[in-house]
Amino acid sequence: MKKEDTVKLISAEGFEFVIDKKAAMVSHTIRNMLTSPGGFAETQLGEVTFPEISTPILEKVCQYFYWSLQYASGMETEFHIEPEITLELMMAANYLHT
Amino acid sequence: MAMYIRVKRNKTTYFVQCDPTETALDIKQKLQTLIDEPSTNQCLTLVATNDVLDDSKTLAEQKVENDAVVALTLRKDGNEFEEVYIAQPENLKSFS
Repeated sequence: MKKEDTVKLISAEGFEFVIDKKAAMVSHTIRNMLTSPGGFAETQLGEVTFPEISTPILEKVCQYFYWSLQYASGMETEFHIEPEITLELMMAANYLHT
Repeated sequence: MAMYIRVKRNKTTYFVQCDPTETALDIKQKLQTLIDEPSTNQCLTLVATNDVLDDSKTLAEQKVENDAVVALTLRKDGNEFEEVYIAQPENLKSFS
């Protein structure tokens, strides 16, 4: 696990989630930010701030990234979503193209 | 990827990919490259049970499962470990 292979996602409240780049790339929006040549400052820093995504939602999104990688590798578990966060989570997923 | 755990300290969460057969020391060595603190200055506590993880035992032996939350504490000035502290966002339900 190398620092260069991780990205830091920062929530609206300033909470930080350090995840593998590979996991973050599940999101097309983040993938574009991290891979577009010279475009985003995020590419160099390896930090992406989401002022519109609250901490519990961003954590759930990160858990989803990892679940998605596990599922793709053949581990068929269920991804549990609490009903009370469904709407907010869907809005975040829409924004992140996840 | 077999599993991951969420290592939390203050306002930061590290998602660490790991295997049930890895030891707590293996996890600390992974964290070492991320936080620049040697493994000897790290202490990991399984939040669900409040058990301090033993370096030499595997994650499976210590009931650390996929998606488990583990608190990280660091040694202050080469002496004692700080208290476990995981910050929570103020309003958990921030519906807009």
